[in-house]
Amino acid sequence: MTTIELVPKPATIKRMIDESRDVKSYVLEMNESLTMPALPGQFVEVSVQGYGEATFAVTRKSKGDREFTISVKRIGHLTKMLHRAATGDIVGVRGPYGNSFPVDDWKGKDILVIGGGIGLAPLRPVIDHILLNRKDYGSMEIIFGARTPDDILYKEDLKMWESDKSILLHKTIDVPFEGWNGRVGVVPAVIRDLGVKPDRRVSIVCGPPIMIKFTAAALRELRWPDDRIFTTLEMKMQCGIGQCGRCNIGEKFICKDGPVFSLDQIPEHAL
Amino acid sequence: MNKWHKIKKTDLQKYVSRLAEKWEVWIPRLVDGKWEFGIYDGARDLDLPESIIDVSLKNLFFPKRRAIATFDENSKWSLQPVSPERRPRIILGLHPCDAAGIEYMDKVFLQSEYKDVMYKNERERTILVGMLCNKMGDDCHCTDRGLTPDSTSSMDVAFVNEGEWYFFRSLTDKGKRIMESKYLKETDEGPTKNEWPAGKYSIASPEEFMEMYDDSIWHELSDICLTCGICTYACPTCVCFLVADEKFKGKGERVTVWDSCQLQSYSRMAGGQNTRKTPASRVRNRTLDKFAYSHLRYGRISCTGCGRCIMVCPLKRSFPQLGARLSERIREKEKERTKVPAESKEE
Repeated sequence: MTTIELVPKPATIKRMIDESRDVKSYVLEMNESLTMPALPGQFVEVSVQGYGEATFAVTRKSKGDREFTISVKRIGHLTKMLHRAATGDIVGVRGPYGNSFPVDDWKGKDILVIGGGIGLAPLRPVIDHILLNRKDYGSMEIIFGARTPDDILYKEDLKMWESDKSILLHKTIDVPFEGWNGRVGVVPAVIRDLGVKPDRRVSIVCGPPIMIKFTAAALRELRWPDDRIFTTLEMKMQCGIGQCGRCNIGEKFICKDGPVFSLDQIPEHAL
Repeated sequence: MNKWHKIKKTDLQKYVSRLAEKWEVWIPRLVDGKWEFGIYDGARDLDLPESIIDVSLKNLFFPKRRAIATFDENSKWSLQPVSPERRPRIILGLHPCDAAGIEYMDKVFLQSEYKDVMYKNERERTILVGMLCNKMGDDCHCTDRGLTPDSTSSMDVAFVNEGEWYFFRSLTDKGKRIMESKYLKETDEGPTKNEWPAGKYSIASPEEFMEMYDDSIWHELSDICLTCGICTYACPTCVCFLVADEKFKGKGERVTVWDSCQLQSYSRMAGGQNTRKTPASRVRNRTLDKFAYSHLRYGRISCTGCGRCIMVCPLKRSFPQLGARLSERIREKEKERTKVPAESKEE
């Protein structure tokens, strides 16, 4: 029997992690010895039966290809239902879809990771990959911005990265907040403050569309060439396989030709 | 090339009735003054329109609402894929632009990394018996889109209406299966060739369209469009869809339903963000998709020149006119660019 690509396969919620006030992470295990061999930057379509499906970046893999994690910000219909789910519940999954970050091409290079809020989710597998293959890469610098301290996610990871001598981590929040003694300012401002140079580096950027736009502008000011600024345009996707039509940017489909693009691959109006 | 077979017009109904014993046969029928395809039941005299059939064939291959899986609403997870319809069928009387529409859908659903097996099944169970057009309708402009009313591309059998006869010819192995009939007589004769006039809506090249993204003309064009989306439903190559769950009395279905890039809801994301909020941005997306993006993606533009979008448009000004107006603007701009400045002419 041939399978209908649009019909998802079951997976079980093994664990749930409260990341921030409106973000939860779900460790999902594929049922029936199925696998989900996602590469860094790839995404899945996750279903709640009776409520449809939505696109989520795979934000971590564990136990080979059987288990993976998604992070879900409560923002719409389906994400509200996911936030109501419990450990042991079954959801539907299909994928992995899309291209991935060209991590092999980046061997020997220094990496700058720039995440804004939930935008850190699709970038975390790149960080994981580099930490797992540490000697293949040069230095790693991470800039992570959140609106408020309550919006900071992946707190365990941030702690780990902070104590890792091979990583330079900058955390920032958008506006001053009582009890916050760290850096304050939006990500593009932090980039300008730090004066991050392109040198032998590639940068990967993800966050809300407005953040990507102004981060790209800040990097360009610092003379970063477009082919060394990578982003993942996790938007408008539905079918994930280049057929439903809605995620097009010109002739390209984000789901099929992306979601990972370097800035020289997309028109200016895509930002 | 397979030989022509001729059949007396008065025998066509008998021939089709015989085919209907073995196949599900779909033919054009007049319903409330409009031509659309329906299953042949022999109840009415067969009557085949010489030109455009009002409703496209899209629905027969990619239905406007298509269940892909079913589930029991009371369970947490019971989603099961549907089983495909296997009965072999014949669609008889479609026209060259209909076949061109199917050819385009093949590119989207079959010549893709992920094949749509349900669409593939609909294609495989179908023999396409196309009737070449005898005339061009008021809104027809296939001759502006690289087709003619006698193109046979993608048909399994083609037939021509001539005088007291229909001339049939099989074009594929699948088509041969319906050529064995006492009513069809092999002949050395053939139908006469026609000359066809150009349509009214010639357009610029995809490359030229691509240059127009930032032009101010989109506001002018969107002023004469309601962005109601009816053109996208009528279009034989508009196959954008939505995936959704529907529930009724405990039973649920996961469905794909036709969607339209002309509707504001199409590009609205969770949280309310919308990248194509303005009518101008939506009109631009569809115009460029029809006449340029499709070419870059699949090697051919997705307008077949059938003119159905004009037929259904409440303002009778649809994308062929917009495309033609835009092409006019492209030529104006080109003229401005290449005009020799007055001073240099003096020298």
